[in-house]
Amino acid sequence: MIAVDDVAKAFGPRREVRAVDGVSFTAADGEITGLLGPNGAGKTTLLRVLATLMVPDSGSATVDGHDVVRDRYAVRRHIGVLSDARGLYPRLSARENIRYYGALQGLAGDALEARVDELIRALSIADIADRRAQGFSQGERMKVAIARALVHDPQTVLLDEPTNGLDIMSTRALRDLLRELRAQGKCLLFSSHVMQEVSALCQRIVILGRGRVVATGTAPELLARAGERSLEDAFVRLLGSGEGLAA
Amino acid sequence: MSHPTRADSAPARIGAVARKEVVDLFRDRRTMLVTLVTAIAAGPVLMLLVLNLVARQVDKARELSLPVRGAEHAPALVAFLERQQVNVVPAPADFDEGIRSGDLDVVLEIDASFEADVAQGRPGTVRLAYDRSRDRARTSIAEVESLLRAFDREWGRGRLLLRGVAPEVAHPLNVEARDLATPQSSGALVLFLIAFYGLFAAVIGGMAAALDTTAGERERSSLEPLLTTPVAPLELATGKWLAVVVLNATAVVLTLAGFYLMLRFAPLPAVGIPFLFGLAEFGRFVVALVPLIALMPAILLYVGSRGRSFKEAQSNLSVLLFVVSLIPVAQMFLQRKEPAWLTWVPVSGQYALLSRALRGETLPLTEVLQSYAVPGLLTLAALLAVARLFARESVLAGR
Repeated sequence: MIAVDDVAKAFGPRREVRAVDGVSFTAADGEITGLLGPNGAGKTTLLRVLATLMVPDSGSATVDGHDVVRDRYAVRRHIGVLSDARGLYPRLSARENIRYYGALQGLAGDALEARVDELIRALSIADIADRRAQGFSQGERMKVAIARALVHDPQTVLLDEPTNGLDIMSTRALRDLLRELRAQGKCLLFSSHVMQEVSALCQRIVILGRGRVVATGTAPELLARAGERSLEDAFVRLLGSGEGLAA
Repeated sequence: MSHPTRADSAPARIGAVARKEVVDLFRDRRTMLVTLVTAIAAGPVLMLLVLNLVARQVDKARELSLPVRGAEHAPALVAFLERQQVNVVPAPADFDEGIRSGDLDVVLEIDASFEADVAQGRPGTVRLAYDRSRDRARTSIAEVESLLRAFDREWGRGRLLLRGVAPEVAHPLNVEARDLATPQSSGALVLFLIAFYGLFAAVIGGMAAALDTTAGERERSSLEPLLTTPVAPLELATGKWLAVVVLNATAVVLTLAGFYLMLRFAPLPAVGIPFLFGLAEFGRFVVALVPLIALMPAILLYVGSRGRSFKEAQSNLSVLLFVVSLIPVAQMFLQRKEPAWLTWVPVSGQYALLSRALRGETLPLTEVLQSYAVPGLLTLAALLAVARLFARESVLAGR
């Protein structure tokens, strides 16, 4: 469960770039919430605030009741993050990459090994598990990065543009995995600039534009509000222009 | 999925980071190559070359071959030189050129009027030609000069005796010198090289590793996901530091082992400088170098984390290492006795202790502790500074 209340974050020497400008929304357990917006709308900044990587200038946010600033270490135990930066360690095998994050999350011994094996099976990466990450394809890298993010079985999962650079098969596998996590009652927050992605997966959609929430609701609600038949047209209408529309 | 049990603590996370980094670094061919090359090649191999050079000079001094012009004018002098194992050869016509080009070290020219001058009671004139700026020629020059002085003394003594005067009358001053050099304290250059490269290994041994684990981590964009785990910035800094310390210590031990094995087993030329680098010196070196083995990785991590890119971090590190390696060189040229406070200064203090170890002295405990104090505090400060860098939001922007 994520609750974001009036969060603002600005950059630049005089804080003139308002990346996130008073955003509020909630994301419930057992749902996939989509954060939809054009490039530069503030999606990554917002996710970084929730991932405790950035401190908001004002406003507050909680994950499972833990404040992202005051209880950042508690938050980190409750979230799994698939960030924009997928960086695996190229000289470590897939298994070692996952095991490292497990150890940092406080797992050890047989429990750690069992959990790593479980994820390797669930993501069907047994064939690459003991190869070094050096030559992995985009899809393989994404799977290992997801396994790494889920190693401590977090209640809340943040995914920043997870389908970027993936082929159709990998995208499908990812969607299936996210649906399965939803079925387990997890809270998933998923950012994308691709409407098809969001409409295919998400129960609730939060549309961001220039750092502000433009609209929230289910896909049918958003269509009704904009008076459009396709989500793409609704998106453009709700944003007020065709600014920076990438898909 | 089952809920995993948690057995987590700061030491466990630090250990996890350190273990992962050590495995990662030992698998990095570039890091290992740089570390091994600096450790093995730079130190012991270079010293082997220097020893051979020294040996050649020693041989040269032993079989001095002296070109002489006008040998026929002073047969007594030539006979004296030959008695002293000098190989007297006729000088070529254009010996000035030979000296300038470095083919000849020193040439003795006996004046044509030598015999006539001596017969009339005037001093006979001999001329020496040499180029003192040539290092290689210096031993030969000194040898010939001292032989000529010896001949002068012997001849004068004989004349006094002939006149019934005791030679002591003309030599009222009796100089007795006691050379306090222990066997180890001679051969200063070779000793300096060992100390310098021991120091160098401790300073540079962790460089490639520190770069890879800081700037490399950012460049591979693996730092951002890492910072979303429960590992605290100081735990991360400490874990990485431990890993680089392991590598640095490996480099130092390999370098010192290289010196030890070479001086013990390699077919060394007889340099006439009996010095020791045994197990005791090995141990004292490690004791003296511990603070640097700990401090340098912390500083390297800080500089590496500050750079926006691998390249920038690399060039910053090069400047730092250049400055640090200059310290012992400056210290060697500083001929006077070192002031006591120098033991407190990082690098200088270690160099002073290494020099003492090489002179065959045991290391006084107080000085060892003094040399640990400042590096210890600096290590702590550098680690806190690295942790602060990891905690900054701008660390994410660097990728």
